[in-house]
Amino acid sequence: MMPEPIYLDHAATTPVREEVLEAMAPFYGPRFGNPSSTHRWGRDARTALDEARERVAHCLGARPDEICFTSGGTEADNIAILGAWRALSGTGRRAVATTPVEHKAVLGAVHQAAKEGAEERFTAMRENGVVEMSSFQEIVRDDTAIASVMWVNNEIGTIQPIDELARHAKSVGALFHTDAVQAFGNVAIDASAAPFDVLTISGHKIGAPKGVGAVFIRRGLVIEPLFHGGTQDRGRRPGTENVAAVIGLARAAELAVAEREAHWRQLSALRDRLEAGIVARVPDAVVHGRGGPRAPHIVNISVPGTDSESMLMALDLRGVGCSAGSACQSGSVSPSHVLHAMGVSNELASAAIRMSVGVLTTEAAVDRVVELYPALIAKVRGASAAAAAD
Amino acid sequence: MAGGERVLVAMSGGVDSSVAAALLVEQGFDVVGATMKLFCHDGDLPDRPCCSLDSVNDARRVCQTLGVPHYVLNLESAFGRDVVDDFVREYAEGRTPIPCVRCNTFTKFRDLVAKADTIDARWIATGHYARVENGVLHRGLDHTKDQSYFLWGIDRGVLQRMILPVGSQTKAQTRAVAHRLGLEVVAEKRESQDICFVPDGDHTKVIRQRLGADAPSLAAGPFLLSDGTIVGTHDGHARFTIGQRRGVPGGFREPMFVIDIRPADRAVVIGPRAELLGRGLTARHINWLVDAPSVGATLAVQVRHRAPTVPATIVRLDADEIEIALDEAVAAITPGQSLVLYDGDRVLGGGVIENGKRQLPVRAA
Repeated sequence: MMPEPIYLDHAATTPVREEVLEAMAPFYGPRFGNPSSTHRWGRDARTALDEARERVAHCLGARPDEICFTSGGTEADNIAILGAWRALSGTGRRAVATTPVEHKAVLGAVHQAAKEGAEERFTAMRENGVVEMSSFQEIVRDDTAIASVMWVNNEIGTIQPIDELARHAKSVGALFHTDAVQAFGNVAIDASAAPFDVLTISGHKIGAPKGVGAVFIRRGLVIEPLFHGGTQDRGRRPGTENVAAVIGLARAAELAVAEREAHWRQLSALRDRLEAGIVARVPDAVVHGRGGPRAPHIVNISVPGTDSESMLMALDLRGVGCSAGSACQSGSVSPSHVLHAMGVSNELASAAIRMSVGVLTTEAAVDRVVELYPALIAKVRGASAAAAAD
Repeated sequence: MAGGERVLVAMSGGVDSSVAAALLVEQGFDVVGATMKLFCHDGDLPDRPCCSLDSVNDARRVCQTLGVPHYVLNLESAFGRDVVDDFVREYAEGRTPIPCVRCNTFTKFRDLVAKADTIDARWIATGHYARVENGVLHRGLDHTKDQSYFLWGIDRGVLQRMILPVGSQTKAQTRAVAHRLGLEVVAEKRESQDICFVPDGDHTKVIRQRLGADAPSLAAGPFLLSDGTIVGTHDGHARFTIGQRRGVPGGFREPMFVIDIRPADRAVVIGPRAELLGRGLTARHINWLVDAPSVGATLAVQVRHRAPTVPATIVRLDADEIEIALDEAVAAITPGQSLVLYDGDRVLGGGVIENGKRQLPVRAA
């Protein structure tokens, strides 16, 4: 019988935490009211919603009116980039700047802005996955509406120098957005001290349910809403609020902030154990972004002569769940745009495997994967070599 | 028999491969389903009977119902190189290719077999209507559904690890099994008729995409009679195949058919039915699924999907070319189509038809 499966894909999603489920439950039951209603049920839901907003704000060092709840990271990124672009497009600031290693939610929104007349600009990247500062300074100028750089990269875990980047954007009068979906809970975020203007978080990466996220919009910023309808969330995000999920997000955010340092220690120890174990057994394995600052939960490894698709399949059949670059709609694997932008060769990029540790990861599980890895590598290499010889 | 052994099942999302997977699960195999992504879904192609996103989803749902894992394998670049490029090249050279043959030869029973090796799958299975018995390929039991014609090109060694679970039943039985096992997603799915990567059944679109709108095979050229008389103009020889009547000039005493395509002068040659008949042929890219027979051997040959077999004799056999004498005249022997050699239901091997011959070939002394 197959031993207990091992989930090494926490950067994709995490299970909802017990505390979060518990906090949400009443809002699927007796406290079901619509926050816009004036009666007791409405008032109760409205109070809970306002409190959740305060709690999430507190977690980010923000003020409650600076927090807008969304359906998740993708919507939040779109509100940030398209909302800012549309609000600013009449002002002569015609450029939208970002990096080539962003999540598709940002790249897609930037691309949409370009369709609406923006000039899209991309920074150069250093080999270790960090933004080339001189290139950022070059493309973010007084004609730039908004610049967007993700805080922690979702594929390789690289931490970007967000304060420095945001300060430059500010110095030329451009807005600065950061997708902090992978950063929140890992790095310290304090909007009261940091110079970013807009920031995105997502619930399901930190033990809240899928389908809820938030965007921090600094007080005074005008953002064009994406949706049109009621006046919920000051008109920034019309539509009846997903009260239960928002309560869940608030609870998960509080836990994430409270546990952040311990979490970092635990996960980086597990990550290091996994990485060192594999590299020791597969000496030609390449760890992407190893030279730069990294979040504690992600390791991205390529072994020459293998391919992501075969490795993912072989790992899954042994009960180990990981991921490769970004999965396409059909579920097939395509080489990562992130690795490509870092100058990684096609051969290595198409062999990349992302493993991300988290709440479900134990030392014993890590050791089992480390044990397993060399045999899977040998098998995949052998088959690829045979196919190439045909 | 091989209880617990792992089998990789190529699943298109159709009823045949779904039932193949289901039957193997019932037999106790460790089934792993895989859908090959062979070309890009981007753009606005209407849904295709196979290879489409919906088909991938159907295959995934079937596997979920069966409780087995399912993967999508991206074989797009290899398929483009081995199948689509060849398809376009063959039309440019005035032939009528069968991409399914090359997909079986290179994509399913070579590249997919390599994937099977990476996951320690001893066996590989598909939903083809054909049978493997004692390492020899046979026609499907239901001759009306038989697909052995498309399988002659595979590596003989692969037969040792190939399972074709639906080849021993009729299509109706396959659908009945699908219902019995609760695979309602696919049970009544219509059959794919067209070539999976050809949009709307118009193969010239693929040629245009790959070679450009000014491809010579899509440019105007003459209709000729076999004596060289020009009798009209056509709009690209790639639109024609041997034996075709549609699009051929009228006004003759007898119905006229395409009898030859000459890409060098872009000519499409037409003639009456009598000129369509052949008594022999040559074929290349020969592959044997049994020990190669000798010159003089008599066997049965099939030169087109669903065409009846004809008794024939091998009159010449080189490393890569075979010449066949047909005991009776056969219409529309078409370069690019497959020559498949049979002994009863046994598939001996095959090749790609190079030329038909009007005269009965004679064995060299």
